[in-house]
Amino acid sequence: MTGGPAVRTAGRDHLAPLDGLRGFAVAAVLLFHAGHLSGGFLGVDLFFVLSGFLITRLLLTEAAGRGRIDLAAFWGRRARRLLPALTVMGLLTLPAAWAFGSPALLGSALDDAPWVAVQGVNWHFITERIGYWNASGTRLFSHLWSIAVEWQFYLAWPLVVAAAGRGRAGERRVAVLAAAGALASAALMRDLGDAVDTTRAYEGTDTRAFALLLGALAATAPVRELCARVPRRAVDGICALLGGGLVASWVLTGGQSSPGLFRGGMFAHSLAAAALIALLARTADGYVGRLVGSAVPRRLGEWSYSLYLWHWPVYLLLPDPVFGVGGWGRTALAIGMSLVAAVLSKVWVEDPVRFRAGWASGRRGLVALSAAAAVAVVVWAAVPRPHPGAGTVDVNRLMAP
Amino acid sequence: MPIETGPRGLSPRRRRPLLLCVLAATTVSAVALTGCGADSDSGVKRSSSSPPKERKSDTKVLWMGDSIAGAEGPALRAALTAAGVEFENASSDGGGTVVNGDRMSRQLAKTTWKELKKNIAAFRPNVIAYQITTYDWGTRQQQRASYEKFAKAARDAGAELVIVSAPPFKVDDFYKKYESAIKSAPEVAEEVAEAGGGGVRFLDSARLWGTDSGAAKALRAPDGIHSCQQGSAAFAKWLGGELGKRYGFAPAPPEEWAEGSWTDDERFTKLGCK
Repeated sequence: MTGGPAVRTAGRDHLAPLDGLRGFAVAAVLLFHAGHLSGGFLGVDLFFVLSGFLITRLLLTEAAGRGRIDLAAFWGRRARRLLPALTVMGLLTLPAAWAFGSPALLGSALDDAPWVAVQGVNWHFITERIGYWNASGTRLFSHLWSIAVEWQFYLAWPLVVAAAGRGRAGERRVAVLAAAGALASAALMRDLGDAVDTTRAYEGTDTRAFALLLGALAATAPVRELCARVPRRAVDGICALLGGGLVASWVLTGGQSSPGLFRGGMFAHSLAAAALIALLARTADGYVGRLVGSAVPRRLGEWSYSLYLWHWPVYLLLPDPVFGVGGWGRTALAIGMSLVAAVLSKVWVEDPVRFRAGWASGRRGLVALSAAAAVAVVVWAAVPRPHPGAGTVDVNRLMAP
Repeated sequence: MPIETGPRGLSPRRRRPLLLCVLAATTVSAVALTGCGADSDSGVKRSSSSPPKERKSDTKVLWMGDSIAGAEGPALRAALTAAGVEFENASSDGGGTVVNGDRMSRQLAKTTWKELKKNIAAFRPNVIAYQITTYDWGTRQQQRASYEKFAKAARDAGAELVIVSAPPFKVDDFYKKYESAIKSAPEVAEEVAEAGGGGVRFLDSARLWGTDSGAAKALRAPDGIHSCQQGSAAFAKWLGGELGKRYGFAPAPPEEWAEGSWTDDERFTKLGCK
């Protein structure tokens, strides 16, 4: 990695522009879900590319430095990074749904929660044909399909990198596998996208793998070498074009059923994102790198995981209008509430577990996790099961002539 | 989103127990969580001041159609079962057409015909009720040929075919280009029924719903296409009555079935019904 030290976050190995990209991505998703940015769902695609890049970079660095990859350690880090905030969000959302949500909203949340717990909720939604029914707005956890996709990738891809990434030609082998896998995944999306129900194409781990794999490809030596050949002066111009193209696609794409989305459109978005990430990682201290990595997007990026987790339950549970305020006013309030929840989650849950809590590792970690799992089961079981259909049929009206 | 831009974590020695714990806990949680809490959909009334009458009929109805029929299915099952009629819901969530028309409808119809064969063999219906789907896309000739083929398949199975027109639904961008096929399908079905010599019947559901999908009478869900519980119950009462007249069974009164557990069906949740 050749990013300039000026734009690295002090004392950490973060690349500020990549944190900033996460900020842009989560902002796009938040605006999309609020109904203000029709192509903002592509922010999830950018998240996938970033994840593929960063995870692969970590794995390849470890393979190069130690000669092997400690898979158990990798999965343990992922668990510490992702599970605490997810668990807390789920544990608070269920009682909130019971208190403030409709019976239908609570019922579907209780149905979906076990699938969220095993990180397979995307496949659950596929079998439920959630896209066909346009039912995202009836499920508090419908946004967690993408977290499940990432988890499944985290389980599978390190095995590939560990097996193929060893030795002198390891990174090239990983690059070839990532490129071939991305092309196969895009072909699968094209085939499955031509259906009445597109949930399979949209939420399948295999159909969305190309974004993660293009990110992975961008982290390999062949692409780094290619990027290194790009003149430094040209990098800013190319990054501006790519970044502008991504933002334009978020504005101009009409929605998740836009023509061409599954026939290469999303692949093109991922490819542009991967190229942008590779170039920003090569020259992080250029104009674009500094802009993308500036304070606001970077900070948003640091909160992006919990912000993503919290925004959808907040959106659905917040009345519409709230105190007589709808539209942009309600959106601002919902985003504000999500931000507060995200910051609290980061400060009180994510960072302590990752960096400061001795109990989060070793045997005490085992006990803590078991306790958390037990609490989750108790909360899930304790929330009263609703009867969404109660009172929905007026028999007298049926009898009317 | 779960993305980090630098190496993190605790010492490698400490990681394995935590990982094992994650896997064990999630597995145990999954088994525990998925094993309980499921609601059955018996269609039985939750509370009743008097037990419903035992009714018996020789009629066996196979119900077919798309997801609009699917949302009507739970109420129809409750109403017909209460009338002593055997009922099988073979409607499809997204598809269900029998029309071999354009590429998409041919693809969907292939599945429908395959399922029909299986359902006839397993259920042995004497009435096949088909609600015209939103995917009956094709020319009038293709629609006619498909409905005639359907009538023959029913006749060969010893069943009568009842074709019910689709309710009025919002013709959005997705349906716009198929508007003429959507309009011609019930007309062609009626012609096939008239020429069918009694083995095919056509029921015009406009008598129940009207023709304006936006009107209160149409009882459409928030999506403007499907029905919520009240609409499904209204349809079940209407179709149960029509079938009862033709096949000689007495429909059960709505108070016996209309407020049953079928109203909790997850389709209504997905549709945002309140």
